[in-house]
Amino acid sequence: MSAVAYDNPTAVKKKRRFDLAKPTGISLVVLAMLPLVIMPLLSIFVFGFSKGPLHFWEALVNPAAIFSLKLSLITSSVATVCNVIFGVLAAWVMTKYEFRGDSALMIIISLPTAIPTAVAGFALLLLWGPFGLLGQFLEATDWQIMFTTAAIILANIFVTFPLAFGTIKPALENFDTNLEDAAETMGASRWQTFRYVVLPSMRSAIVTGALLTFARSIGEFGSTIMVSGNMMMKTQTAPLYIYARYNDGDVEAANAIAIVLAIISFAIFSLIMIFRKRLER
Amino acid sequence: MARPMVMTLFPDTQAFAQRQTDAQPALSVRNLTKRFGDEIVLNDVSFNVAEGESLVLLGPSGSGKSTTLRIIAGLETPDSGEVVLHDREIEHLRARDRNVGVIFQNYALFPEMTVAENIGFGLKIRGVKARKRAEVIDRLLDMINLSDQRDKKPRHLSGGQQQRVAIARALAYEPEVLLFDESFSALDPHTRVGLRREIRQLLRKLRVPALFITHDQEEAMELGDHIAILNKGRLEQLGTPHEIYNDPQTEFVATFLGSANVLKGEWQDGLIRLDHGYFVIPPHEAFDIHIDDGERVKVIFRPEDVLLSTTLGIAESPYHLGEGEVSEVKFTGATEAVTIRLLNTQLRPQRPQLVTSITQHSEAKAKEFFIKALRSKWDARRVRLSPGDRVSIGLKAHKLLRGDRE
Repeated sequence: MSAVAYDNPTAVKKKRRFDLAKPTGISLVVLAMLPLVIMPLLSIFVFGFSKGPLHFWEALVNPAAIFSLKLSLITSSVATVCNVIFGVLAAWVMTKYEFRGDSALMIIISLPTAIPTAVAGFALLLLWGPFGLLGQFLEATDWQIMFTTAAIILANIFVTFPLAFGTIKPALENFDTNLEDAAETMGASRWQTFRYVVLPSMRSAIVTGALLTFARSIGEFGSTIMVSGNMMMKTQTAPLYIYARYNDGDVEAANAIAIVLAIISFAIFSLIMIFRKRLER
Repeated sequence: MARPMVMTLFPDTQAFAQRQTDAQPALSVRNLTKRFGDEIVLNDVSFNVAEGESLVLLGPSGSGKSTTLRIIAGLETPDSGEVVLHDREIEHLRARDRNVGVIFQNYALFPEMTVAENIGFGLKIRGVKARKRAEVIDRLLDMINLSDQRDKKPRHLSGGQQQRVAIARALAYEPEVLLFDESFSALDPHTRVGLRREIRQLLRKLRVPALFITHDQEEAMELGDHIAILNKGRLEQLGTPHEIYNDPQTEFVATFLGSANVLKGEWQDGLIRLDHGYFVIPPHEAFDIHIDDGERVKVIFRPEDVLLSTTLGIAESPYHLGEGEVSEVKFTGATEAVTIRLLNTQLRPQRPQLVTSITQHSEAKAKEFFIKALRSKWDARRVRLSPGDRVSIGLKAHKLLRGDRE
C-alpha cells in the first residue's frame, strides 16, 4: 500500500494517484548497478571479443591458460566433494545429537567464511610451510603440501568449509523424523534409513550446497595465491592466471579466461536458482 | 486393577465378559511404566491382544496411548514392564528387529519413492529379490485397489489413497502385529468411515492382531473387538465396546465413551441422598449391595436411559429419580436432546426407618443440577415437551459407583 493510501484511507477507493516514488526508486537501483555490476561484467565481454573471435580463441587455447582452467576445475571439484561429505556428516551430527560444546562446534564450523581469504592462506602456510607446526615434519620427507595442488585444495576446502553444511543442515532439520521411525519399524538399519530415506530427500539441498561450494572455490584468489606459489603450468589456477597475464600486460589473455570463468559462474548461478526453487517446495 | 464393588443394572453384560480372555494372546503388554522427567505418562499398564483380534486404546491426548504404541513399536523405551509378541520378549529389541507394522498418523510415506517402492521397502530391506518383491507389491496394490497408481509419488495421491498405501506397506513384510497411530484423524469424515470399514474387513480376513490408538470414540466402537480406556497413564477399563459402554467401571469411562449423567450422593441404608433429593433402590436390590451408611456414591446413567413423563409423581420405569423442569429441547434428527433442571424435592421416601433431618441439606438449594435426556423421535412426538414443562424423571438403567473422586 502506498504512503498516500495509508494517510488517507478513502484514497484507496479513488483512482490511485501517480506515485513518483516507484519509477524514481527503480531508476536509482538500476543506475547504481550500471557502473557497479552491469558495466564491469559487460566490459569483459565487449573487450574480449573486440579484436574478433579468432583472437579470443587463440588466447584461450594457450597451454598455460588451458592448464589453469583445468587446475581450477579439478581443485574446486575435489574441494566440493570433500566439503559436501563433511557437510552431510556435520549436519547430521549437529541436528541429531545434543552434546556439551555443540554451540561452540557450530561456531567453529561456520567461522571460515568470516575469515579474510588472505588470512586463511597465510594460516595454512604457517601450519604446513617449511617451518610450520606440521610442515617441519614434512620437511624431512619427500612429501610436500605447500606450493602444490594439494595446497590449493586445502585452501579451497578451508574457505568454502561451511557452505555445503549451511544448506544441508536446514534441510535435515526440516526432515520429518516420522519417516525415519517408519523405516526403522520396517526393519531398516540406521545406514539403510539414511541411504534410502534421508539422503534422497536431501538431494536438492546437497546439490545446492555443492554448487555454492564449487562457485566459491573456482573463483578463489586470496588464499590460493598465498599457498600455491603461483607457478605457471604447475600451481596457477584460472584466477591467478588472469592476474598474472594482466600484470604482464597481456590483457587479451587475461580477458579470455575471465570470460570463461564468468560463463561458468553464470551457469552455476542459474543452477543454484533452479535448485533453490526446488528446495523451497 | 481392583474392581470397585458395583451393582450392575445394565442388561446382558455378563455374557460378554466371558469371551475376552480365553484366546492365547498374540501381543501382551505387562506393567508398562514410563516417566518423562517428573511426569508419569504410563502407570502400570497391562493388556493382551489375542490372535486376529483388534484392540483400541482410547483416551484423551496426554493419556499415554501414543507412548504405549511407541514402546511396542520400539521407538520408545519403557522404564519398566514387558512387551511380549508371540511368546518373544521384545521390549529390549530395537524397532527394526521386532517385526511390527506401524501405520503413522500422517502415513509417513517416503516422498522420494513411488507407491510400489514404498510398499516394497520392507521386503527390500529383508533382502527379497526384485521379482519376488514385485509379486507381493502387485498383490497388495490389487488388494488396496491402487494398481493404476503404482508408479506415482505419494504426494500425488489423496489422503485416503496414501492411507491405503501405508497399510499395504506395513502388511508387505508380514508383521506380527499392526499398530495404527491415530491413523484416521487426518482424513475427511466420509473417507474415514469408508476406510475404517475396509480395514475391519481386511483385518478379519488376514487375522493379524491389531492395536489402534485413537481419541475418537466412534472409531473405537467400530474398530475394536475390545477397547481399553486410558486416562492419565492409567488403564481405566478394558472390555468389549458393549461392556465399556454399558458397564463402565469409572466415571471417566462413562463420560469419555458416550455421554453420561453423573449425580453424586451419599448412601443411607438403601437410599441414596443426592443433592437434590433421594434416589431409591428397590429393597431387593438394595439388599445385595454392601455399602456402608454415609459412604459417598455416584449414580451414573446415560441420556437415552432417561424416561420423561408429564404425569407427575408416577414414574414409568422401575427407578424414579425425581422431578424436573425442562430447560432446553433440541431436535437433532433421529433423536431429541432434552436438558432438565432437577427440582429440589427434599421429601424423604417412606420406606427406610432411619430418618435424618430434612433441613440438614438446605445448602443444596443454591446449586442447580441439570441432566441430559435423549428421546427417540417417536417418544418426542408422543409426549411433546417444551422449556418450562414439569416432568417426572425415571431411569431405565443406571450404574452405581463407589467413591466421590473421578
